[in-house]
Amino acid sequence: MTKRDTRSFWIGFAVIVALLAAAPLVLPPFWRHFVTEILIWGLLAMSSDLLIGYTGLISFGHSAFFGLGVYGAAAALLLVAPPNLFLAIALGLAAAALVAGFVAFFSTRLRDIYFAITTLIFSQIFYVIIFTWTSVTGGENGLTFTRPGLGVPGLYVVRFTPTTMHWFVLAVVALSYLVLRRITRSPFGMVLQAIRENEGRTRAIGYHVEHYKIVAVMLSGVFAGLAGVLYALQNEFAAADFVFFLVSGETVIYNVMGGIGTLVGPIVGAAFFLLLREALSRFFTEYYLIPLGVIFIAMVIFMPQGLLGFARRWLNR
Amino acid sequence: MTKPDSAADPIVKVDDLHAYYGKSHVLNGVSLQVGRSEVVGLLGRNGVGKSTTLKSIMGLVHAQQGTVLFEGKPVTGMPAHKLARSGIAYVPEDRRIFRLLTVMENLRTGLDRAGMTESRRHELLDKVYELFPILAERRNQHGGTLSGGEQQMLAIARAMMLEPKIILLDEPTEGLMPRMVAQIARIIEILHREGVAILLVEQNVALTLECSRRVYFMEKGETRHHAAAADLTVDDPVIHQYLGV
Amino acid sequence: MAIPWDLIVVQTVNGIVTGMILALVASGLTLIFGIMDVVNFAHGELFMLGAYIGVLVLASTGSFLLALTTASLVVALIGAALQIVTLRPLIGRDPLTTILATFGASLVLQNYALWQFGPISRKIAEPVSGQFHLLYLEYPWYRLVIAVASAAIIGAFWLFLKFGRYGIWIRATTQDRVMAQAMGIPVPWVHTGVFAIGAAMAAASGVLFGPLVGVEPYMGLPWVLKAFIVVVVGGMGSFGGSIAAAIFVSLLESYASIWVSPSQAIIVSFVVLILTLLFRPTGLFGSASR
Repeated sequence: MTKRDTRSFWIGFAVIVALLAAAPLVLPPFWRHFVTEILIWGLLAMSSDLLIGYTGLISFGHSAFFGLGVYGAAAALLLVAPPNLFLAIALGLAAAALVAGFVAFFSTRLRDIYFAITTLIFSQIFYVIIFTWTSVTGGENGLTFTRPGLGVPGLYVVRFTPTTMHWFVLAVVALSYLVLRRITRSPFGMVLQAIRENEGRTRAIGYHVEHYKIVAVMLSGVFAGLAGVLYALQNEFAAADFVFFLVSGETVIYNVMGGIGTLVGPIVGAAFFLLLREALSRFFTEYYLIPLGVIFIAMVIFMPQGLLGFARRWLNR
Repeated sequence: MTKPDSAADPIVKVDDLHAYYGKSHVLNGVSLQVGRSEVVGLLGRNGVGKSTTLKSIMGLVHAQQGTVLFEGKPVTGMPAHKLARSGIAYVPEDRRIFRLLTVMENLRTGLDRAGMTESRRHELLDKVYELFPILAERRNQHGGTLSGGEQQMLAIARAMMLEPKIILLDEPTEGLMPRMVAQIARIIEILHREGVAILLVEQNVALTLECSRRVYFMEKGETRHHAAAADLTVDDPVIHQYLGV
Repeated sequence: MAIPWDLIVVQTVNGIVTGMILALVASGLTLIFGIMDVVNFAHGELFMLGAYIGVLVLASTGSFLLALTTASLVVALIGAALQIVTLRPLIGRDPLTTILATFGASLVLQNYALWQFGPISRKIAEPVSGQFHLLYLEYPWYRLVIAVASAAIIGAFWLFLKFGRYGIWIRATTQDRVMAQAMGIPVPWVHTGVFAIGAAMAAASGVLFGPLVGVEPYMGLPWVLKAFIVVVVGGMGSFGGSIAAAIFVSLLESYASIWVSPSQAIIVSFVVLILTLLFRPTGLFGSASR
């Protein structure tokens, strides 16, 4: 990357973050909330892109990491008084990391389709556990809790308003993006991309492919867990539905729609999906997934690079 | 050296074929023709694109440029199964027997087609069983349990089930014992007498010259030279030029 | 703790019954995977659609046999259309894209069913009423009918694969797609046909299973998950392995539900999957070759 590229990247990054930061000040409450949600789901999608786009592994189990992030945060907020923001984040991340480590250990022995199926089945294990372990997780009813304040407990705490919550989410997502971007450009990220291109050759050069994959799945899981924590903080409830397969499926859809292997693409994809859902629900009510599924299939077939890739090619024309 | 006369009414005519595997240019202008019931050899060093030429005639490799005419009609881009049914058979280098199918079932893959009558089936089967008695003996054995030579015979017999007008024969003697090599030569002769054209890719120069009427030489994905087989000997300078090590 | 022998006997019968349905679902899935490397995510939805069509035909004609055949035929057509529209354009692309396409199809079909039929479960009356004595229990005959019918369909299909002209085409294509095409077998249509057959088998299992718990739009997911497990445990693409694995997994789940609730018993299959992946990634029952 040349110096000029670097500069234009930071300018672009600053402009987009500034626009997103200004959003809650100008948007009506519904759309403000909408943008915050896009950022959270975008973070989840971005975490999964580390696997789909950079390592060539399709995870159909990201709901497990996301959901454990939600429940980890919920546990911290419900069990420790007074509720502590940082403890919630820490516990959410720890729970997601633990689960991701477990899933990674088994699933990375497999490739392609086998990996996808295994991650799906693991996420369903956690779903079944959470769904049936009613005494702890609230089962079908889920858990509700209150959001802690921002700050150091005992010293200085401010209550979250919708706007500050949005800024908080934006800060976390923007920071995560920078970290993930750094990871994908590091030597480690290069090895992941080598695995995607040719696993056999990467192994032959002497890299321990399984170790790299395990770390990739864990990193991806931790960022997915972070998205879960943010979701818990934003919505103040946890439900077994967040661990359900549908969340994983939607995560994959965000990636494909936006364009894999770009980090930004999945966020664009999440925004596109949520907007589309909003628009389609007006006509198709709760059956919006019928047209949305058709659009998704069409994009898989005709727009394999996703919206971002499509736009890029169109601009370069 | 005299230029051999090309077939007046070619069954297969290939003109300036180009093909790529990914980014590498594997065929770089292949032109050749095979006349009705003519045996034509295709010689060249390893990796010059002989097998790819056969695969692109068969429609198994997509040719980006150039044309293939079969009986005067363009067939470039036509799916392989249609070509197989209109009379082009393919015997690949590694034989590619259906290993988990019995010998009989392997033959049936070519027999079960529209317009096939019961009596014709029997005729065809009787013919190959007479030609290859060993296959009759092993008819209920899995293809994967046959020896290399038997697999080669099965591959040829299977191609014959299509009643082809031309067989694309890729390295039929590779890895075979001398006795088997002689038998392959005999089979080529029989097919030729029955009016089947053969495009033969071989490393065995003596066999190629013995069986073929004309020979093409390939280099770097291109047909560079062609000559009447009768004008060539195994020690010919041309042979050394294109095949010498 | 005393061993509850009577319960074990009952659960063995139950396990075999669900195992046979699962085998029917999974053999379609494994067939499709074996021949075109496609993991059909929409397989559970084809199962569900079959069950719904069964409900409709049964309600209007009263004939269970007619419901079974109509559902199989209609869903076979839907499967063929699905393959032509969503999978054919992806030939030559990364096989993973086929997971995405079939996943999209499953969303569409599931929500279509939700829209058409609503979320409430519909009952199919058991076509064979009556019970017999199994120890102290009144055991419904229909459950045995399911097991026998599933076995009959699988058996008929096996005979077709073994001796039928198109069966040989399917086996040849599964082994070597390119050579099959060079032998004049219309491989693209074999793929479509196999997808249709797999769909029909899923639909038939849906109709057979319907009377046990009722029919609802989301009924496909647990089945497709279990079928995935069975396909992996049985050795991907191995027909016999899938059937053995289906019965094995169902028996284990059946025994487990003596002590835990059925929704928790599914974890047993998950554990079987994990252990298989750890110690025999090529599957417990399948041979490595195919």
